[in-house]
Amino acid sequence: MSGHRIRAITRRLLQGFRRDRRTLALLFVAPIVILGLLGYLMRGSSSSPSVGIANQDSGPLGAVVAKTLRHSSHITTSDINASDGDPKLRDGSLVAYVVLPSDFSSQAQAGTVAPEVHLEGSQPGEDAPVLQALQQAMTSLASQVAGRNVSFQPQVKYLYGGANYDTLDYFGAAFVGLVVFFLVFVITIVSFLNERSQGTLERLMASPLRRGEIVLGYMLGFTVIALVQAAEVLIFSLAILRIHNQGNVLLIFGMEALMAIAAVNLGIFLSMFARSEFQAVQFIPLVVVPQILLSGIIFPVSTEPSALQYLSNVLPLTYAVNGMRDIMVKDADLTWSSLQLDAAVVAGFCVVLIAAGTATLRRRLA
Amino acid sequence: MGDSYAVDVQEVSKSFGAFKALNGVTLRVRQGEIYGLLGPNGAGKTTLIRMICGLLEAHGGTVTVLGQRMPNVAVLRHIGYMTQQAALYPALSVEENVDFFAAINGAESGVKEALELVQLYDRRKSVVSTLSGGLRQRCSLACALVHRPELLLLDEPTVGIDPQLRVQFWEYFRRMAAEGTTLIVSSHVMDEADRCQRLGLIQYGRLLAEGSPADIRAQGGSQNLEEAFLALAAATPRRAES
Repeated sequence: MSGHRIRAITRRLLQGFRRDRRTLALLFVAPIVILGLLGYLMRGSSSSPSVGIANQDSGPLGAVVAKTLRHSSHITTSDINASDGDPKLRDGSLVAYVVLPSDFSSQAQAGTVAPEVHLEGSQPGEDAPVLQALQQAMTSLASQVAGRNVSFQPQVKYLYGGANYDTLDYFGAAFVGLVVFFLVFVITIVSFLNERSQGTLERLMASPLRRGEIVLGYMLGFTVIALVQAAEVLIFSLAILRIHNQGNVLLIFGMEALMAIAAVNLGIFLSMFARSEFQAVQFIPLVVVPQILLSGIIFPVSTEPSALQYLSNVLPLTYAVNGMRDIMVKDADLTWSSLQLDAAVVAGFCVVLIAAGTATLRRRLA
Repeated sequence: MGDSYAVDVQEVSKSFGAFKALNGVTLRVRQGEIYGLLGPNGAGKTTLIRMICGLLEAHGGTVTVLGQRMPNVAVLRHIGYMTQQAALYPALSVEENVDFFAAINGAESGVKEALELVQLYDRRKSVVSTLSGGLRQRCSLACALVHRPELLLLDEPTVGIDPQLRVQFWEYFRRMAAEGTTLIVSSHVMDEADRCQRLGLIQYGRLLAEGSPADIRAQGGSQNLEEAFLALAAATPRRAES
């Protein structure tokens, strides 16, 4: 061992970093961006779940429960008619509603209350605060009914999903698309970069090939690989992991294909801004991680701080994830306007990126 | 007048920032000629070649190739370009590489002939990443000429290859020129210069001298081409900064 030689290696590394300002910036900027985003997302959540209360109780105790729920810090409440509940769950204005039956007071006097709890169900994370608030309301109810222990047996009904619908089911729907998106992006950006560094791109440019032909050819080639991968991921998720799926498998596959095409084009476009594979890999923390955080995969977009919601709403992945969930969890089909929007946004993103990739290819070689 | 020349470069200048890579270069190459572009590393040879095949646009002057002002996509089909590094797809076999470049030039039928010309037909199934530098260079040449271009641009084609292969390469070049192909070959190796019909000496982005090897010898006042070149270079002022 020679300290001198070891120092030579250390010095050589640090000298290289000094020239590569971009890597240096990334090393110090990316962690702040990612952690800052995460902190803002988790602490700055703007809204608590909206819960509707349909109080049909002829006695006094239903009003007591409703009042306690209204003051709960876990949820935001509104009074509704029981018949309006399901449509409001469907259009997303409520995540749950509680029906206190007409004999609620007498149930309480008898010692067992069984209010109906209707949950939207596609986002398991949002169910917990609702049930927690209700539990607290029941505890305070027990203190009103002197001398009795009131047992609380809610009848939980799910609009989507179901009691067995778990976190994997929720994430699964998004991850089936995300896995394909991410891997295809990395493969594309690296191989397009190879084309540049091994000099073959220069050769292509000196051939009768047009720029658009290069971009489209690449897109088709990687899309073939991506579709095979998408099929594999889908079969594994549905047959082996048994992720909850209500929807049409072909629609899921179609949405995956759209995401793969978007990823290919994003890879081609961003490869124009990287000079080495090393720099290309740096796009992962800068481009991919914020998208994962903001696209609603982990934190529902509706619970994000409002400033971040604007950002989420311009990210194509947000629409892709939403579309996948609509299909797999809610059995959406192409007659749903929300799914039409999701598919259109992702497809539009592909078109914009094809044009951008073609334009950038021209500029870099001019 | 452009019609009688395969390549007509008039007063071409090109800068990269403050660096003047080419400074008013004028040269003409006749059809079927082997034209040697000579000069030290960094003289501007590659820049000139890239302008002739339309990869770079001139800041001043004009480049006319086969009668068309460059850059022009329609002309590219008639140009073959062998880049300095052997630009190939390492994961593909020799034949697959040549096949690809044939396909993008719409000349699938020439693959076998091109492979035979560079004597790689027997090795056509070999994957490029397993080949030696010389074999790669041959494969690269096959890719550049598979569509039988009228104009072949070769950027230092013989760098890093052994003398035997170099002799072979020049044999191919002569055969192609005899069939009417125009070749522009850049080199910084002076003993190759004698194999060209005409030479252009480039230094500091300028054309110092032009003519047959005998002309250059006369201009430089030496029987040795290398000494003649050095004499001509010494008589020229340094690169102008713009």
